[in-house]
Amino acid sequence: MNDYLPLAGIRICDFSAVWAGQSATMYLADMGAECIKVENPGIWNPMTRAASARMDPMMCMAIPPWLGGHPNNNPGPRPWNNSPAFIHVLRNKKSVTVDSRTPEGLELVKQLLRISDITAENLAIGTLEKLGLDDAAIRAIRPDIIILHLPAFGRTGDYIQGRGYGAHMDAVGGSTILRGYRDDAPMTNVQVFAGDFYAGMHGAVAALAALRHRRRTGEGQTIEAAQAEVSSQMFPQAALDAAWNGREHVSLGNRSLEGFVPNGVFPARGEDAWIAISCRSDAEWAALTRHMGNPAWATSPELATAAGRAAVEDMLEERIAEWTATQDQQQLFRELQAAGVTAGPVLSAGDVTEDEHLAATGVWKTLPATDDYPETPFSVPPYHFSKSNVGIRTTPALFAQHNDYFYRELLGLSEEEIARHRELGNIAEAFTPEAIMA
Amino acid sequence: MDALEGLTILDISSHIAGPYTTKLVADLGARVIKVERPGGDPARQLGPWLGDEPGIERSGTYQFLNTNKESVVLDLGTEAGRAVLQDLVPLADLVLVALPPAKAERLGLTYDAIRPVKDVPVVSLTNFGNAGPYRDYALSETVLFAMGGEMWSHGLLDREPLKLGGMAALMQCGAMGAIAALGGAHAYEVHGIGQAIDVPLFEVQINSVDRRSSSILAYRFTGRVNSRPPGPSAGIAGGIYPCADGYVEVTASFGNYWNRFVEMIDDDTFRAPRWLDPMVVLDPTAKEDADAVVYPWMLTRTRREIWEAARNAHAIVAPLFTGKDLYEDPVFRERGLWTEVEHATLGRFPMLGRPYQLDRTPWRIRHAAPMLGEHTRAVLDEAGYDAAKIDSLYAQGVVA
Repeated sequence: MNDYLPLAGIRICDFSAVWAGQSATMYLADMGAECIKVENPGIWNPMTRAASARMDPMMCMAIPPWLGGHPNNNPGPRPWNNSPAFIHVLRNKKSVTVDSRTPEGLELVKQLLRISDITAENLAIGTLEKLGLDDAAIRAIRPDIIILHLPAFGRTGDYIQGRGYGAHMDAVGGSTILRGYRDDAPMTNVQVFAGDFYAGMHGAVAALAALRHRRRTGEGQTIEAAQAEVSSQMFPQAALDAAWNGREHVSLGNRSLEGFVPNGVFPARGEDAWIAISCRSDAEWAALTRHMGNPAWATSPELATAAGRAAVEDMLEERIAEWTATQDQQQLFRELQAAGVTAGPVLSAGDVTEDEHLAATGVWKTLPATDDYPETPFSVPPYHFSKSNVGIRTTPALFAQHNDYFYRELLGLSEEEIARHRELGNIAEAFTPEAIMA
Repeated sequence: MDALEGLTILDISSHIAGPYTTKLVADLGARVIKVERPGGDPARQLGPWLGDEPGIERSGTYQFLNTNKESVVLDLGTEAGRAVLQDLVPLADLVLVALPPAKAERLGLTYDAIRPVKDVPVVSLTNFGNAGPYRDYALSETVLFAMGGEMWSHGLLDREPLKLGGMAALMQCGAMGAIAALGGAHAYEVHGIGQAIDVPLFEVQINSVDRRSSSILAYRFTGRVNSRPPGPSAGIAGGIYPCADGYVEVTASFGNYWNRFVEMIDDDTFRAPRWLDPMVVLDPTAKEDADAVVYPWMLTRTRREIWEAARNAHAIVAPLFTGKDLYEDPVFRERGLWTEVEHATLGRFPMLGRPYQLDRTPWRIRHAAPMLGEHTRAVLDEAGYDAAKIDSLYAQGVVA
């Protein structure tokens, strides 16, 4: 069978961590690259396979579900194989263990680099350099390799030592200051991690472009995508208004940067049920007022234009909220859409799993049970190719799952050599006790 | 040489998501022929305005999203306009369409309809996909994020859920479109195949690798729903603190994060045994006692002073920057985050620069966003139309 994979024959030596790096290589793996995740059994990499190597039922319940929600809130002996935050970025990848701190381990890494087309990393600045794997050394091993760096704030300049997760990229990239309640200070902002998501996608875009150049010319190159700089591209209006007009943007809450009025998130009937409504045109506003039964407060002629509505936006939002609070969320969503008003329910994670549209369009693919998690539906990648097989081809890589493939098939080592690497701690089935306790 | 040199994309998209997809590839060297409706892409109506003066060539939203593209104005509401579009397909190696599915079908802008003209990848950015009960529903930035599974957990428990700033959700979808398009381009060049590639915006959101897909999987595993927290901070320290000239984001809830934070604050209070005991997080008075030290420390320092102290201590702390901070920041400027573009009528003006650095095939702006219809005549000429035919199309208002 021809899978028509866009990146057939491409191999990645993957040192990436957390979400930004691991998602960048996930997209490339989806596209058909053989992505070999290099894992050091002697080092616990924070926020890469789970929040902690020592996750237990108490910790699961103490931290929010996105990070603590291991199966049945009980991770079992291998929390690194069942974190809800990380196993999805391991789809279509292979996991091999190597202790790169030893000369023999480092030599194995170099052998992998020698047969790789890309390497990717977003480790703390200097981590690879300490191993003797700076860009020049990597290029000496494989001259035409593509090196993808996704540092937090850049590999040059004063911010080089800055540490951060997605929330900190969002802070520096200008995202955090632009979200939050209009009537409250940014201190009430809750973290989101759009910085990881955005940086990972952009890392993949740059790598895909570099791969095309390499295919056509044979030339590799080095890519640097600083996560905070990538994040800043998410808000060009705020950045350009500052550059062009010296204006500082503040949070609009749930109001529209595009001037839609009304535009907001309104309560629906029941507990913690909400519906988002955007009147993207005067016609949508007219349709909304008709649907509300043309109440007197909505029908004065000044409200026919967005400017007229903007003048009384607080009042409109209050009145609309009074009305939506009496309506069933799902029914109102469908009625408003049918009436030509842009609206949608605020879906919780649970609601998403029950959404009829997602179920009908084949978004969920049930992956088989492993020793570490039960049979579970996962979402398939959000790009559907009619010929290329870019879906979930192989299940999320369990820690050390592909050691046999790597050591026997790919490197072609003898049984004695394999036994020796097992003794040296390169081939391992689990993290060492030292790594777990660190 | 540009990484995507020689790749031509016929771009039937407008507003935010589709244009961001094609901006990403245009800035790496692809040729993008952008088809605009008479009057132009609605993004031309969105600010900020250069010099605060509105105008279809002065829109910051449009200028950012359409660097390096060519503009061809076609009235697809006319049969002649649709015929011209068919004649542009042979120029393309990939067609990008961001239209409601029913409209795309009506205009013949599906893979099945385009294939007989030229078998190229056709990337469709749709709100909800080409099938299913929501297929024809409309989206806005707010509604998209609302349905994406994260808004539910963004904001405070006793208040309404919150969207992200600006048009972040649509921009995210645009970036995903570029991954799909480049995947399609590789398959086209390597295997010689065209195909349909569908990218539903709704799915991009629920697949987002951050607190969207993880919350959904956590619900599958545990039945627990990631709700909005009652308050913004967790543990002894963390969340957003005010400082002398703004705010900083702090992660210092426990373990090493807390230890490095203590090193940054460098106050003997936190070296007392009480603070070294991991169980201090369970002490109900600990947060208040910590705040009594941390708040004054923060309020007497600027964001830059705090960030420098954090970098020295490897603490996970970063300043909240505004657009102005990003524009003025000497470090990011030196690194090349900003650039300037030269526009035929507007002159030179600043533009957000490269999101990434490629050392052999650099991201670069070859030309500013096109003026409305700037390339109509040249592209029609390239498609084999003679001058008389082009003049007649102009006269009929089919092109502009």
